[in-house]
Amino acid sequence: MSIKGVWATHRNAVIVTVSTLIILFPIAYSAASSILIQTPDPFLELPDEKYRECVRDTEYMRFHHMDLLKEIREEFVRYGNRGEVALDSCRGCHTSRRRFCDQCHNSVSLSLDCFGCHYYPEPDGAS
Amino acid sequence: MNRRKFLKASGILLSGTACAPGLPILTGCSSTRADRERVLSKYKWGMVINLEKCRLDCDACMVACRKENNVALHGDKRWDIHWIRKVNVRQKDSPDAAWKPVPLLCNHCEEPPCAQVCPVQATYKRDDGIVIVDHHRCIGCRYCVIACPYNARYFNYKENPDWPNKEYPKRSHGVAESCNFCAHLLDQGKKPACVEACDKINANALCHGDLNDPDSEISRLISSNPVKRLREDLGTEPKVYYIGL
Ligand code: SF4
Ligand code: SF4
Repeated sequence: MSIKGVWATHRNAVIVTVSTLIILFPIAYSAASSILIQTPDPFLELPDEKYRECVRDTEYMRFHHMDLLKEIREEFVRYGNRGEVALDSCRGCHTSRRRFCDQCHNSVSLSLDCFGCHYYPEPDGAS
Repeated sequence: MNRRKFLKASGILLSGTACAPGLPILTGCSSTRADRERVLSKYKWGMVINLEKCRLDCDACMVACRKENNVALHGDKRWDIHWIRKVNVRQKDSPDAAWKPVPLLCNHCEEPPCAQVCPVQATYKRDDGIVIVDHHRCIGCRYCVIACPYNARYFNYKENPDWPNKEYPKRSHGVAESCNFCAHLLDQGKKPACVEACDKINANALCHGDLNDPDSEISRLISSNPVKRLREDLGTEPKVYYIGL
């Protein structure tokens, strides 16, 4: 049976099948890519030896460090209260931006502007 | 009660209940704000520039400012940024008159036009009178650059390639900036970098201090000398005073 013949006899079935495939493609693609394309898990470097404890507990920092940073920024920039915590104090224990901050940010494709203006040195010389 | 009255009454009731939870938030904010203000509002920073002591070919203050605050110098006057700059002036109709150097910087106006026009309140007057830009908030609209009658504001058309003072942030491309009296040094109890540099070469032309304190050096200089401010007619109430202008 030629293609023409299929089209003539099963027109509706062909349209339904093709459109279902088109609709399902994105879902199938993302499912397949999550299985097939393995992105490495972010590897966070452990803090420096002089680390005792963080300014907040780990759970809070993991999900809300940006809120904390925004809060201290507002306090300092607008009201002149320089508290205990600053971006500089992160630097004391988490010595490498590349091996700490960037790990998660890169893996979720987040690009931040902090380090365009604030200095966060790399221990091996690159900034 | 007819239909109309009923609707009116229920509307009022509803909006009342909707606003009520907001009240503690509003009052809560204002009380913490008042606590914060006390930190800075003791001071009112100002500067006196003694033009008789300022040297003609000296640029110590400009260099020190660039180094402290990472102010960009691209070598092209379209993009160069100056927090403090010097112009030479002389009497208009006497060509033989001596040139007089005049350092110009942000005047930290009491009524700052730059802060009034800023649509996102990125530029604002701190409680100690310093007019400062919150660069995180600046959207780069350049209203303030146009509003400032003293041309004290500059815009970052380009990223600054240099970063001499790593302890102090630089500014990214697309924000406005101007002198902030080295607010980060004042907060540590130090003097602005330009004043420090001027004192170091023993010119002592710049004096920075607290205008609120009647015994401070700056208050004495202002009361014992004929001082002028730039364009006082504009009503911006600058806090930079000039002796011998
Ligand atoms: S001199 Fe210009 S930038 Fe400085 S406070 Fe006045 S208006 Fe604003
Ligand atoms: S350029 Fe920035 S600081 Fe100036 S008025 Fe616009 S938002 Fe405000």
